[in-house]
Amino acid sequence: MKKYIGKRLLHLVGILIALSFLTFLLMYLAPGDAATKKLNAQGIAVSQEVLEQTRADMGLDRPFLVQYGDWALKVLRGDLGTSYKDGTSVAGKLSKALGYTAQLALGALGISLLIALPLAILTALKKDTLLDYIVRFFSFIGNSMPNFLISVLLMYFLCVKARLLPVVADRSFQGLLLPSVALSIPMIGRFLRQFRAELLEQLGKSYVSGAVARGVRGRYILFRNVLHNAAIPILTIVGLQIGTLMGGSVVIETIFRWPGLGKLAMDSITARDTPVIQGFVLLTAVIYVMVNLLTDVAYHWIDPRIRQE
Amino acid sequence: MKKTKILSLLLALALVLGLAACGAAPAPAAPAAPAEPKILKLAESFAYASLDAHKDWNGWYTSIYGLTETLFKVGNDLSVQPLLAEKAETSEDGLTWTVTLNPKAAFSDGKALTADMVVRNLQRIGEVNERFADVKDYVIEAVDDKTLTITTPELYPTLITDKLTNSAFGIMDLDGADLDNAPVCTGPFTVKSFEPEGTVELAKNENYWNGDVKLDGVIFYYMNDDESKLMAMQSGEIDGSSSVTAAAKEIYAADPSSYVLTVIPATRLQFYVLNQNRLSPNVRKAINLTVDNQDIADYLGGTVSPAVGPFGASAPYGQVTKPAVDRAAAKAAIEADGYTLNADGYYEKDGKELTVEICYYFARSLDSIAVVLERQFKEIGVKCILTGVEDADSTYRVTGEYDIALYCMIADQAGDPYYCINALFRQNSDWALSGFHSNECEALINELQSETDVNRRAELANQIVQISIDDDAFGYIGLFNKTTVAVPGVVNIGENSPFDFYAVSAETDMP
Repeated sequence: MKKYIGKRLLHLVGILIALSFLTFLLMYLAPGDAATKKLNAQGIAVSQEVLEQTRADMGLDRPFLVQYGDWALKVLRGDLGTSYKDGTSVAGKLSKALGYTAQLALGALGISLLIALPLAILTALKKDTLLDYIVRFFSFIGNSMPNFLISVLLMYFLCVKARLLPVVADRSFQGLLLPSVALSIPMIGRFLRQFRAELLEQLGKSYVSGAVARGVRGRYILFRNVLHNAAIPILTIVGLQIGTLMGGSVVIETIFRWPGLGKLAMDSITARDTPVIQGFVLLTAVIYVMVNLLTDVAYHWIDPRIRQE
Repeated sequence: MKKTKILSLLLALALVLGLAACGAAPAPAAPAAPAEPKILKLAESFAYASLDAHKDWNGWYTSIYGLTETLFKVGNDLSVQPLLAEKAETSEDGLTWTVTLNPKAAFSDGKALTADMVVRNLQRIGEVNERFADVKDYVIEAVDDKTLTITTPELYPTLITDKLTNSAFGIMDLDGADLDNAPVCTGPFTVKSFEPEGTVELAKNENYWNGDVKLDGVIFYYMNDDESKLMAMQSGEIDGSSSVTAAAKEIYAADPSSYVLTVIPATRLQFYVLNQNRLSPNVRKAINLTVDNQDIADYLGGTVSPAVGPFGASAPYGQVTKPAVDRAAAKAAIEADGYTLNADGYYEKDGKELTVEICYYFARSLDSIAVVLERQFKEIGVKCILTGVEDADSTYRVTGEYDIALYCMIADQAGDPYYCINALFRQNSDWALSGFHSNECEALINELQSETDVNRRAELANQIVQISIDDDAFGYIGLFNKTTVAVPGVVNIGENSPFDFYAVSAETDMP
């Protein structure tokens, strides 16, 4: 197991080098630079002379490999640099945004699992009944609705009409609630369909028919055998979703004024703030790889067959 | 089993509704009782990471927040008015400005504003803000406690409008502990709490030197999503907002008892540049005779006012004329170049259709304008290719690869035309790539650069802009309207100022 984890972490180093180089290159090739974006931010153009001087001060006039090498050396020393946009520490910006994104991801994931898992079990057990059709229909709707539409509808009905929650939310639990629900709705639809399919597959297997024939109680079969055997694919689905959630959601975070990683990344791309974008890419790559690694480790824990392999 | 089904459904429903109910419901906006503190809640579309007015564009916002003040300000009528300074006079050679401070001016902690502090502020701006690096070349000295001199290396008649009214030149107490998060300034409000790139809470400056402050406090929420702003207004959680979209404007306008809309022409200009290297004089003339600014303004839902020149028609330097829309004359101009209409209704010559490339970027409604222009040109038989880019400043503006380049900029920074004229018509400006060149224009711009008489400056500006119109080098489409919405009773939130960097003041009030 230790060897396996070591190998995966070694892969991570390769992934980080490739990703950071590619992102840096794309930002370098993209039209516009941080100096232009910063100086012309409010629609008042500056002279070419000022622009050139600012580019030189920011080091943007240097060749690509020099810029990348300089950045990479700093990162190796543990310094992610400062933002081109406002001169603040990239590490500080990322850690603050990561905290907010983690809260949002946890909230959305919690709601999704609490709703999707029981409903998936129910619909799997009641396959092709009216209840199954209704739930599947709503899961289709939830899954296919874009985030911005869900957010605006929730805000309109819960904040403007029912006045249950504020539009101008703060960073409290109350402020977290609506974006978490908005983020979870498509996820519930997705989880429900995937979980249901996994459970149906397990329910159709011969060990279930055998257990029923032997007179084992249905609830016992469901909780001790079916759910246990479906745990690995379910864990994979959830693990992948955690990785995605931790990258932040631009739309949700913008609409609900939630200062997470998605909004930070989007603002940084708009401002051509390469140090922040690079930091974001490294962070999300690490999170994604680590979550997948933890999922794999969890397989070992759940399934003795994998342990033996 | 039936019980399980009901329980599961109830669990799912209760979770969403229950969680929603966990959050305490915000009380609907109730009329403020007389004893209650008057806290105004406003939405802003941008927010910065620091309140240090001298750095980046932070000063734009510290001015909006009523924290910082400048030596002079620009009135709603575009006139320059004294604020922290009483007056500024130039020496005979025009190089040295003597600025006399208002003796009453003081910081929120009661400390008097001194010439020495202003000198330190000006010097610091030159050091920390790339846009004003030229200030490092000025000799700035305190003469006495309330007088300072600024000597520029060259004649600089627009020092006051370019610099001393500029929001980046907001004065702060540089001996204050935390310039980024809680600067001590001279404005009617002080920082109560500051969340970088988030909400800013302000309290009344109890020691305000320039009269009583009517509000007890202001909260600025950072909301850059238009739908959220609209719904926050509808739910009564904010009292006002600027930069109202056309869609939101319609909704507010439909309910005048709940919302007060103020629409005034502002200073942000939408215009296009005609590439003389690629378009003949007759085609350029035809284009300018075809573009219907009123049609565009209508299409944009009243968010812009049709323009004649780059400046508002009420400004003394906004007195220019342009020919009325005349499609027949436009077609005649194209035909004079030897083009004839083909079977598809487009002009062609030597088997080649007359096609113009319109370059635009995705901001300030320029993408919508490009679509309207395409329609208008089609009506006279000119085909268009629309090329949208994300960033004009690093593409067509600096490569000159366009027939028509759409652009948007603030034309009037602070009541003077020089900045815009210098940026657009100079032979070394980026737009010179369009082939526009006029010795007469260049000479007039040189004269404008050093002219100190305001009336003569307006005269020169009008002549310069008129040349650009007569030469069919530029087309001025519209000036963005500043659209502000507020609940009834909220007044003086900058709704009557054409500039975006003014909002709350001591005179701001609410019911």
